[in-house]
Amino acid sequence: MDPDTDIGGPLHKFPVTNHSAIVGARSDDQVVRRRAFDTILASYWKPAYKYIRLKWQADNEDAKDLTQGFFANAFEKNHFAAYDAGKASFQTFLRTCLDGFVSNERKAGRRLKRGGDMDHYQLDFAAAEDELAAHAGSTLTPEEYFHREWVRWMFTLAVDAFRQRCEESGRAVHFQLFERYDLNDDNREVSYASLAKEFGLEPATVTNYLAAARRDFRRIVLEKLREITATDEEFRTEARSLLGVDVK
Amino acid sequence: MKWLSDDRLDHLRSIVGNPDFSSTKYTFVKELGRGGMGTVYLAEDTELNRLVAIKVLNAPEVTEDLRNRMIREAQIIARLEHPGIVPVHDVGTLPDGRIYYAMKFVRGSRLDEYAAQGASLRDRLRKFQAVCDAVAFAHAHGVIHRDLKPQNIMIGSFGEVLVLDWGVAKIEPRMNTDEHRSEIDPCSSVSICGNTDHGTIIGTRNYMSPEQARGEIDQLDERADVYSLGAMLQFLLNDQPRVSKAAQAICSKAMALEKESRYATASELSADIGRLLDAEPVTAYRENALEKVVRWVSKNRFLVLLVLAYLLMRIILIFTSRS
Amino acid sequence: MSKPLIGVVLGAVLGVIDGLTAWFTPEVRDQLGGIVIGSTIKGIIAGIAIGFFAKKFQSLPIGILFGVIVGALLAALVAIMQGGYYLEIILPGTLVGLIVGFATQKYGNTPATAN
Repeated sequence: MDPDTDIGGPLHKFPVTNHSAIVGARSDDQVVRRRAFDTILASYWKPAYKYIRLKWQADNEDAKDLTQGFFANAFEKNHFAAYDAGKASFQTFLRTCLDGFVSNERKAGRRLKRGGDMDHYQLDFAAAEDELAAHAGSTLTPEEYFHREWVRWMFTLAVDAFRQRCEESGRAVHFQLFERYDLNDDNREVSYASLAKEFGLEPATVTNYLAAARRDFRRIVLEKLREITATDEEFRTEARSLLGVDVK
Repeated sequence: MKWLSDDRLDHLRSIVGNPDFSSTKYTFVKELGRGGMGTVYLAEDTELNRLVAIKVLNAPEVTEDLRNRMIREAQIIARLEHPGIVPVHDVGTLPDGRIYYAMKFVRGSRLDEYAAQGASLRDRLRKFQAVCDAVAFAHAHGVIHRDLKPQNIMIGSFGEVLVLDWGVAKIEPRMNTDEHRSEIDPCSSVSICGNTDHGTIIGTRNYMSPEQARGEIDQLDERADVYSLGAMLQFLLNDQPRVSKAAQAICSKAMALEKESRYATASELSADIGRLLDAEPVTAYRENALEKVVRWVSKNRFLVLLVLAYLLMRIILIFTSRS
Repeated sequence: MSKPLIGVVLGAVLGVIDGLTAWFTPEVRDQLGGIVIGSTIKGIIAGIAIGFFAKKFQSLPIGILFGVIVGALLAALVAIMQGGYYLEIILPGTLVGLIVGFATQKYGNTPATAN
């Protein structure tokens, strides 16, 4: 099989979805726009910061200011409303805008000021910086790096959301099993049998809980992706990209 | 929030991307390929202890419409019982709601890979003829493939030829899967891929007929597949050092821009390929007298050589007896 | 065309050619008519035998072998009757048998097998 089979033509743009923050960014309602912006910011600030540090060789303070400045400016000028899903993915659009913003700021040689609007967001730049320091040495191009970090951040947010939902719905064990088996970076071998023993469950129960956890986790990842894609087609394309097969 | 290492990240991506077969009799082995509507995985049937290929609906979210289309695809392929059409074993629903169907896992190579391995012209033509026969069978049962190309043809390890990926096939009304319906609306041909609206373009660019490229979905018939078969034949002939005029003429006829000028059916195309293989005159090309003689001599090479050897021997004997 | 008929036609044609080449041997030139007729009859007899063999037994190697043997035997008989020109008669006669044996196996209608 190959992915070249094309289903296109004038009807290939599918209807816009309701949950998309990208769509919300175009709303006339200030509250809706603010909520949409929050979602976009939450999804992209960290990859944007790392990208600026790597590609533009900005130091951590400048990168912090540029990141915040970019998003503040984007919200103020409502740049995200200009996004056209037919031309590129939102990820590509945002990265291009980010490059443009940083380039302009550098040319203008302005003393960067943190946007006043951004002060109430608690963006953990220190953690981002620690991650950069601990995991430097990427061989990816800046664009590939941005994508990779975006994927990493999307999954991180999904893990956090999954944890919260499990706690709220009384299924903490599901998350704990998921954390031990699928998030475990230890070299120790973890098996269904060892987890069953550890948690005092039957192995079949561990199997079922883990299967359910993975299904729920998948749903959450796709929900998060749905929030930051504008059309069904973009959603499907980004889903393929997010889940491991890059669509050129 | 905990940092996700590259290993963990890749693991999570595979969990989310790979299908969950836990409630089925299959176990996941690996991904084989991705297409328009589905992803095909290699899996093991734990009851029969054999490998199968499982096509899973690709869409991240499953709508009723997509589910029905996938089931219909499986049903249609299952009813096309022909050695050249990959058999479907099973159909079901994964725990996450995605539809899947299991089919024979074909060990072998795609037709483009087979050609790249240096297959002779004769072998390529035989394989191509087998493709035509499978497609003709599908047409006889009202199914038009609409995405024929070398990448959708498998050559098995026993040399068998199988046509794959019927995901965008069109089913004519005479192939109604509901046997209890007494009336068939001749205008209600259904596309497996779902979007039957005029203007939709379905297929692969290099192999799609002009009418397909124009999005004339309603006008498509078997001759659209004949065009694609012609393009496939052209692909098989492209890297051959010597292609006869007859072979090129068959190609040209199959790929005529006007569908009325093409072979009417895949069977006719197959028959002409058969004639070409048997060194018989083909319908697509009118030979002159010299070409007829050359073809006859080529077909009866050994006999001609024997007679020439006899005459040469006679001449030698004449000269030796004189001296 | 049936296999025996192919054998007869081919045997006759090659027999005529065979006979005509006797013209290049001055010593026997005055007997050319008889030689051609004899050679043609020899070719026809060989063709009938080989053709019927091919009708009964469909095997290319065996058919060729049978043709070679029949062609050689008939040619040897003629050569003995002539009292000479053994090489000039037997060698072409053998080759004619080979050609007819091949052609009757390869071409012609195979009889339908009765159940």
